[in-house]
Amino acid sequence: MATLSINNVRKQYGSVEVLKGIDLDLTDGEFLVLLGPSGCGKSTLLNMIAGLETISAGEIRIDQRVVNEVHPKDRDIAMVFQSYALYPNMTVARNIGFSLEMRGQSKTERDGAIRRVARLLQIEHLLDRKPAQLSGGQRQRVAMGRALVRDPKVFLFDEPLSNLDAKLRVDMRTEIKKLHQRLGTTVVYVTHDQIEAMTLASRIAIMKEGVVQQFAPPQEVYERPANMYVASFIGSPTMNFVRGTLSAEGDRLGVSVGRERSGFLPLFQAPEQAGHWLGQEVILGIRPEAITCYDPAIAAGNPALVKVACGVNVLEPTGADTITYVELNGHEVVARIKPSDRVAEGETADFMIDMARANLFDPKTEQRI
Amino acid sequence: MSSLTSALPPAQGTGARIARWGLYLILLLFAAYYLLPLLLMITTSFKSPEEIRTGSLLSLPRDFSLDAWSYAWNRACIGADCRGMAPYFLNSIVIVVPAVVISTIFGALNGYALTKWRFRGANIVFGMILFGSFLPSQVILLPMAQTLGALGLAGSAGGLILVHVVYGLAFTTLFFRNYYVSIPDDLVKAATIDGAGFFQIFTKIMLPLSLPILVVTIIWQFTQIWNDFLYGASFAAGGAQPVTVALNNLVNTTTGVKQYNVDMAAAMIAGLPTLVVYVLAGKYFIRGLTAGSVKG
Amino acid sequence: MTMQTPSLRPAAGEDAGAVPGSATPQKAGGLRAVAQRHLSKLVVAPSFAAILLFVYGFIAWTVYISFTNSKMLPSYDLVGAEAFSKLWRIERWYVAIENLLIFGGLFIGISLVIGILLAVLLDQRIRGEGALRTIYLYPMALSFIVTGTAWKWILNPGIGIQQFVRDLGFPAFTFDWIVQQDTAVYTLVIAAVWQSSGFVMALFLAALRGVDQEIIKAAYLDGASLPRIYWGIVLPSIRPVFMSAFVILAHLAVKSYDLVVALTGGGPGYASDLPATFMYEMTFRRNQIAIGSASALMMLATVVAIIVPYLYSELKGGKRV
Repeated sequence: MATLSINNVRKQYGSVEVLKGIDLDLTDGEFLVLLGPSGCGKSTLLNMIAGLETISAGEIRIDQRVVNEVHPKDRDIAMVFQSYALYPNMTVARNIGFSLEMRGQSKTERDGAIRRVARLLQIEHLLDRKPAQLSGGQRQRVAMGRALVRDPKVFLFDEPLSNLDAKLRVDMRTEIKKLHQRLGTTVVYVTHDQIEAMTLASRIAIMKEGVVQQFAPPQEVYERPANMYVASFIGSPTMNFVRGTLSAEGDRLGVSVGRERSGFLPLFQAPEQAGHWLGQEVILGIRPEAITCYDPAIAAGNPALVKVACGVNVLEPTGADTITYVELNGHEVVARIKPSDRVAEGETADFMIDMARANLFDPKTEQRI
Repeated sequence: MSSLTSALPPAQGTGARIARWGLYLILLLFAAYYLLPLLLMITTSFKSPEEIRTGSLLSLPRDFSLDAWSYAWNRACIGADCRGMAPYFLNSIVIVVPAVVISTIFGALNGYALTKWRFRGANIVFGMILFGSFLPSQVILLPMAQTLGALGLAGSAGGLILVHVVYGLAFTTLFFRNYYVSIPDDLVKAATIDGAGFFQIFTKIMLPLSLPILVVTIIWQFTQIWNDFLYGASFAAGGAQPVTVALNNLVNTTTGVKQYNVDMAAAMIAGLPTLVVYVLAGKYFIRGLTAGSVKG
Repeated sequence: MTMQTPSLRPAAGEDAGAVPGSATPQKAGGLRAVAQRHLSKLVVAPSFAAILLFVYGFIAWTVYISFTNSKMLPSYDLVGAEAFSKLWRIERWYVAIENLLIFGGLFIGISLVIGILLAVLLDQRIRGEGALRTIYLYPMALSFIVTGTAWKWILNPGIGIQQFVRDLGFPAFTFDWIVQQDTAVYTLVIAAVWQSSGFVMALFLAALRGVDQEIIKAAYLDGASLPRIYWGIVLPSIRPVFMSAFVILAHLAVKSYDLVVALTGGGPGYASDLPATFMYEMTFRRNQIAIGSASALMMLATVVAIIVPYLYSELKGGKRV
């Protein structure tokens, strides 16, 4: 168990800067998820933590020790690869014990450790098989076993679930979470899957083009995204962005959407700097689940709820709820309503927007206001 | 590999059946064309000189005789030396075995280093090595003869081993490089984290995975070096000559009566090792042939 | 070449694998660590040094010699391009060049036709395909010094095919190309095609098996006949193989040596000389080292002109070679 700190880390290939100054600090036992699209630099960063890539500038510390110049095997880390990278010529047992073998441990010592890990992962019956004889899920477990056997300070996962089918992925995700709760080891986990990030992380670092966009706990990333990129990367369907003007009506600040007077949406808690933006264009970000069918009973008890009349364009039932495309003063937005709500395509219905969950973004910088 | 047309239903009807017969006929005629020289060599080597003179070119031997083989093996005169093909056959083995082993080891190491531990300029280095496989030997004959002389290796088996190792490197490196490219880098990364070093990863992980390409390379190098004539004729003197050079000398000896059965038996002796390897492991031989020329 | 183990899929997509030097471990202090860091280069170094010396160094050496007046022993006095101008005044060299053009053209053309024909025919779900393939390809496994012994006999008018056919009752039958000045080179073509066309077959058969079967199905459903599918769709889709086969055959033609030695010895006279035998003759028998070197360089230039554009496009195009 260990802390991990990454200070102003950069990576260059020739003149191309892949990582542009990354700062992340992890406390002991944290589960960090590096989230981003392909090519954002998340795997490069992971490889640098592992010691598989050189660090162009900055430093990485594990438990306060600078490891920039330390060989991977001496960093006390273990890694699970997307392809699992199991040695095809070795049995499962030897795969798991290989790192101990390389460290000169005796056969008996190794066997004990292998048994312990195999029991933990319930793969004892597979120990004598070769990787080619295993299913995808079993290989995944062996890959984890190989990482676990050394009891490292930091676990590194490089998209470990992306080669599994959908159902197995969900099961293994839960299993990784349980494992982390049980062992409490510090984890760095790379993925492009927002659900994995939300479910597993104690903190998420969302990356884009070599820069960390936001580094925060999952719920905060979801509710208070640092910019429009983060807001649109997390959540499905994605957050609605509506262009409007910040204006005042009486003593209330709000966003005017479209020309009509009914387009004024009062903010529940205006951000501190909102005053500077009066009369200027802003982007209002609303999650689909913040737009629901109007229910007078609920609206009465919550002053943040604003009633709007919207034309209903399309209904997409998903079972648990219905994704609804509605017209909000000339802007199409997505709402998430209950299947029991009685609205029909083509008609106009009353909706309510939870303005307490609204976000404001600067249209130029796309940053949160 | 499955036939391209296996995706389609087989054609029906009389016309199709005739076409099918024609197809087999053509294929068998070609087979006869390819087999003819070999069959001729085999049958003739078992005939007596008398039968060759009187009998037909394509007839099977009437009195099966191994005389020509034993004569070719240990009594035929190659130049003034009448010890048969045996000592030269041995020369070839002495040259081929170390040359194959050394060039294969270097090829495997090069392929590993050039794919899994790429350094700046690795592609250029590989390109320059690869060009060696197309080099017309005539360009290096003279400098090599001079160099072998300077090294005191002129005319010896050692010299030929050196020559075959150097000019085999292009092929062995190519084979292993193309094979190792298809092995995921993640294995090397995982092993590095597990604490294995450059040579440990090579011996414990890469080599155990290399059996198919190892066979391809060894067969290729064995065939090439065993069949070499130009280097043997240029750099080996007298008693150190390989079996191909001896065969050529034997066949082209103009003194005395031409013993065709002995010529053929000697040719079979010289060709048998590669022929046996080909029949036993043709699949790997074909892979070697096509490895350098077909992408992927 | 594919691996059998499914777990060996290369990591897809993500930035890791695509980056050169991705598996370079960290440096640490000390001499041993420096060696560790450069191990990869150290391992390749001996081979590369050998290639530099024995390939590129020797080419330079041969170039140098070709600009001297070396006769029996190398001399190192430069005399300019004398050897080249001498070379191009030797009639025998012109014979060798002309022979190479005739031999190369026919050899490449016929080998391609036979090879492709056999590949397409073998691709028709043939029973015994494996055995036939083995038969078609075995000449590549044997030295031509070996098989040439049989060919020489077959082509020998006194005891070979000519005599055989005459014995069958056609006393006027004549097939004596090998002893005629103006036809000896064609016997080289016969033997060379015999030796290499199976190889062309193997190349094309492998390529045919790599063609996407969906395309064939689609063409078949569109109503195309089998010959039409091959001619119009399959063969054009394996165009790169034509290029590979051409390059390999062309460079084999330029390097052909064993064939001539075993079959005609360059004769009658020097009527069936090729550049390779010419070079050997000049260098090792006639003590004209400079001229021999000059002719070797002509061969090299020809091979380079064929190979370098090919290698360049191969190395640049796909990362695989």
